[in-house]
Amino acid sequence: MSHALAGAAVVGIGRSPFVRSSGRTTLSMAAQAAREALADCGLTAADVDGFTCYSTGDSAGPSQVAHAIGVDDLGWSLSVLGGGNIVTSTVAGAAAAVLSGQAEVVVVYRVLGSQTRYGRALERVEVDGEGQFAGPHGYLVPPQWFAMYCRRHQYEYGSTAADLGAIAVQERDHAVRNPHAVARSPITLDDYLNSRWISEPFRLFDCCYEIDGAVAIVVTSAERAADLPHRPVHLLGAADSNRFGGSVDQWDDLSCMYSRDTAPRLWSRTGLRPADIDVACMYDCFTFTVMATFEDFGFCAKGEVGDYFRAGRATYGGDVVVNPHGGLLSEGYIHGLNHHYEAVLQLRGDAGDRQVSGAETALVTSGAGPFGGALVYGTAAL
Amino acid sequence: MAADPLSLPPQPVPDAVTAPFWAALAEGRLAMCRCGQCGLWLQPPLERCRRCAGPTRFVDVAGTGTVYSFIVQHRATVPGYLDDLPYVVALVELDEQAGLRLPARIVGVDPAAVHCGLRVRAEFADLPGGEFTVAVFRPVDSR
Repeated sequence: MSHALAGAAVVGIGRSPFVRSSGRTTLSMAAQAAREALADCGLTAADVDGFTCYSTGDSAGPSQVAHAIGVDDLGWSLSVLGGGNIVTSTVAGAAAAVLSGQAEVVVVYRVLGSQTRYGRALERVEVDGEGQFAGPHGYLVPPQWFAMYCRRHQYEYGSTAADLGAIAVQERDHAVRNPHAVARSPITLDDYLNSRWISEPFRLFDCCYEIDGAVAIVVTSAERAADLPHRPVHLLGAADSNRFGGSVDQWDDLSCMYSRDTAPRLWSRTGLRPADIDVACMYDCFTFTVMATFEDFGFCAKGEVGDYFRAGRATYGGDVVVNPHGGLLSEGYIHGLNHHYEAVLQLRGDAGDRQVSGAETALVTSGAGPFGGALVYGTAAL
Repeated sequence: MAADPLSLPPQPVPDAVTAPFWAALAEGRLAMCRCGQCGLWLQPPLERCRRCAGPTRFVDVAGTGTVYSFIVQHRATVPGYLDDLPYVVALVELDEQAGLRLPARIVGVDPAAVHCGLRVRAEFADLPGGEFTVAVFRPVDSR
C-alpha cells in the first residue's frame, strides 16, 4: 500500500529551449519536448498510449500534442487544471494510470508560451470568484500573495532579507553550471539587496524567471523500464495536501505552507526522512516558497533556513543539494516540471558539471500556500 | 482619462452568492457571509455552510480588525494604482472570528509604520470605475 507507486518509473526526459520570448506556439514547444523525451528512452509515438498535462487553460492539450507527434489512437488523455499545486498529482496520476493498466507508456508535459505570465495582470479588467475581493485593491498576483506569507514569517520567526538572499544567491550559483538556465551570471548578496522592490518584502531576485519552454517526461512500468536504455528512476511515493479550497488568503498559518501537511504524509508513505534525501528540487516560484517548505519538510527548524544556506548545507558537500539546476528562480519557470527533469538527470548520473555525486534519492516538491504536493524518486525501488 | 485601460482597477464580478457583499458596501455597510444555523463566518462566501450545511446570509460586522500580514506594492502589476505607488495591502483579520480575513488597502498611514498586529477600522471608498464601493482600512488611532 505505502509503496504502491514504486512499480512505476520515469524513463525518458525532453525539453525545448528555455527563452524569454520564443515566438512559438505551445503546441510546437510541447511536441518538441515530447519527441525528445521519447527519443531519449528509445521509444516512438507508436509505443505511447497515454498523455497528460496540467495547465491554467493556457496550453495545447494532450490529445493535440499526441496527434502532433504521430500518436494515432490515445487510450488515456487527461488535461489537469492547475499550476504548481497540481504537478505531483499529475505525475503520480500518470504512474497510477500505468500501474492500473489504463496505459502502458504515458507522456507528462507542461508548456508555457509568452501569453502566460503570472507575475503581472495589467490587462485585467474584471475579476470573479475569490479574486473579486482582492483584485479591486490592487492585490491579484502570486508575488503579492507569497510576499504576504513571507511578511508573516518575518514577524513570527524573525527571518530576514539576507535569509531570502542566501537562497537566491545559492540557486544562481548552481545555475552558473547549467547551460540550459536562462540566468547564469552569479549574483552576490549585495546584488540581491540592491535589486528593486516588487511587492515588499519581495525584491526582483525573490521572484522566479518567467520564460517560454516545454518539459516532457515519460512514465512507464518499472518492468518495462528495465529494457530501456537509461537507468530507470523509480517513483518511491507521493503525497498532496489541499486545504481552504485553495484560498491563499484564508490558509490558517501564513508562516508555513501545504507542506506542513504533505511532509508527514510523504515521509510516512515512503519510510524516508530528510536525512535520506540527496537532491531536493524545491518548488521555488519565490525564494520564500523554498524557505517555508524546506522548514515544513523538516530539513531545519523554523527561522533557520538562512543559516542553513549560509553554512553551505544546501549545496555540494553539504547535507542536501537544493535545486542544482538553479530552480525556477534561475533555470527558468516551467511550472515545476523542470524540477522533475533535473531530478531524473541527477539520479541517472548524467548531470555533467553539476552532478551531485552518488545521488540516489531526490525530493521534488510542487506548490505554494494552501495546496501542493511532493514526491520522491530513487535509483532503486523501495 | 477613461481612454487609458490602465487607469481603472479590476472591477468585481458579483455572482449569485457574493452579490449581497457588494450591495451592502454600496449602502455603506461591511457585511460578511454567516451561517444562520451554527453561526460560522465564511469567507469566501458559500450558499450553504461548509460545517453544518445550514443556509447562510450576510450579516454586518463591526468593521474592526487586526493586520495579520501586509505588503507594500512598489511595482505596477495590477491596473488602477499606477499613480499611487507604493501602496499597502493587508490581510485584515476581522474581530468576529479568528482567521476570518479580508484583503484590503490600508490608508492614512506611512507604509513604514504598518506592522503585523496593527489595529484597523473599515471605511468606505468609491472604487474608480463608478459602480462599486470597497472597504479600505485605516489605523484606529489615526485621523
